[in-house]
Amino acid sequence: MTFNPLRERGIPLDDQLRTWRELAVMPIDPDESDPYTRCRIITMNGLETEAIFFSHNMARHCPDVEMKQQLARVRYIESQQQKAVNWLLPGLASVLETTIAYEQVAVDLTSWVARMEPDPYLRQAYEFGVLEDFDHLYRYANLYEMIEHRRAEKIVDGLTEVMPGRPTYLQHRHPVDNVRQNYDRTVASPISKLHALTIMSTEQQTMNFYMNVGPLYMEPIARQLYQEIGMIEEEHVTHYESLVDPGETWWEMLLNHEYNECYLYHSFMETESDPRIKAIWELHLNMELEHLGLAAEAFKRFDGRDPEQVLAPELPVPVTFEPNKAYLRELLATQIDYTTIGTGYVQEAHERFEAMQRAVLDDEKPASEVVIAENAMKSGHEYRLETEGPHPVQSLRTNRPT
Amino acid sequence: MNARPTDVVAFLVRQHAEIRDLFAEVEASEGSAREEAFHRLVHLLAVHETAEEEIVHPYVRRVVDGGDAIVDDRLREENEAKQLLSDLDEMGPHHPDFLKHLEVLRKDVLMHARAEERYEFIHLTREGDPARLAKMTAAVEAAEKMAPTRPHPGVESATKNVLVGAPMAIMDRARDLIRKVMGEDK
Repeated sequence: MTFNPLRERGIPLDDQLRTWRELAVMPIDPDESDPYTRCRIITMNGLETEAIFFSHNMARHCPDVEMKQQLARVRYIESQQQKAVNWLLPGLASVLETTIAYEQVAVDLTSWVARMEPDPYLRQAYEFGVLEDFDHLYRYANLYEMIEHRRAEKIVDGLTEVMPGRPTYLQHRHPVDNVRQNYDRTVASPISKLHALTIMSTEQQTMNFYMNVGPLYMEPIARQLYQEIGMIEEEHVTHYESLVDPGETWWEMLLNHEYNECYLYHSFMETESDPRIKAIWELHLNMELEHLGLAAEAFKRFDGRDPEQVLAPELPVPVTFEPNKAYLRELLATQIDYTTIGTGYVQEAHERFEAMQRAVLDDEKPASEVVIAENAMKSGHEYRLETEGPHPVQSLRTNRPT
Repeated sequence: MNARPTDVVAFLVRQHAEIRDLFAEVEASEGSAREEAFHRLVHLLAVHETAEEEIVHPYVRRVVDGGDAIVDDRLREENEAKQLLSDLDEMGPHHPDFLKHLEVLRKDVLMHARAEERYEFIHLTREGDPARLAKMTAAVEAAEKMAPTRPHPGVESATKNVLVGAPMAIMDRARDLIRKVMGEDK
């Protein structure tokens, strides 16, 4: 069944405003809901947050008052959408549980995108990044066991494995090496543009989340771990945002943003297991179709081009949350020792990388290492969830010589 | 087995995690396994709540500015949960409405536990005297280790609650034990 959002009519903008009562959504149950429902909520919050900040930024560069007013009207609705989506998260869950869910999103969403990405250079960027978020999941899971005395499998529910990826301390790279080559907007396939926007948005929201909640912890190890991983998330935003062609006009960027929101809401409507949440995805899709229509009109008017020239003729296959265990094990076995150099990748540490490592680590164990050692001491073991056998990398197996 | 935390807050937070997991276990199991898991849940909840009432709340009332209001809020939550627990215990795990009532209790207990962690325990960590907190741990631990009263094998009659130990009876025994430990060097 094909779905071309440019040909669909949504809810008229004037009818999209919601009352406070309508925004007071009932949160999901922290223990009994589908972990991938929570992943979809976190993903959509990332997209809506990006939509709001992008629109603010665009307004600051927009000389036309009438267009600024249109941006403001749509942005107000996007802001309500963000509230309706993110407020589905339960206050009963601790911040650390939500953090673990954020990393589950990063792992399974980036894996899916990498598997579907047609461009080999872009695919490599996702494969490189996912092994790092995979490691963050393992570090936070150990912090969770250490301070909340609970095992992360209760959160990820066995859908995502928890074990070392590319060790976090090896992710502190020279900023210059975090910048990738961008795709060429004139030849990149539409799905590649959507992928880049999706991962950039979710990583950016992860960065925002850690930079704000980290200092609310009282345990020094928790504060330090959020700081360390928060620094990596900035590297990831740099990494993914640099994939996007900066030659796109504001109107083209707006068009891509609105189209991507339609794509994700449609994907989640198609794949959601919870009927109550599915209805929200459907409602928001019908709102986004109208936002897309308005962006398309503006694109025609100010860029003088037809939106069909830059967008896909129909929505690509739905973005799906599903286990990626075998795929990740294959990446672990082949790419764990990669680092970046300039806009490319190498398997050995190079001079600039080593200088950066010395400068930030100063020969001391960072929080990402300390948390494992401390949890092993407190809980009697380090925390892992290896459902498919021992770690594919020999040197990262448990009981390895230290 | 895991090392036991020595700080009373860490100890109680660990019990919150165990309680949460036990709810899931009761729900997922059936027949005698459910009965057995439910007894463990009743025991842990009764002991845990008693320890908080006997040790943590009075201390917070004494040393924390605004402690009375904080504790009053917690007691209100606890009393609701206690009533639900008693009803559920009387009903027993074989009752057709058991899961429905268990669900209500689970949500109440989770919300209460999170409120304690955020609005009460944080003051213990901030303002509590470390020696006193360590002493509290000893009392909570002793209560937790208190031997659970087990149902006698083969007893399936209506009198089994008496033999198992209804929540109130467990609380009474835990209270005596805690007072003994805390009172040793007043």
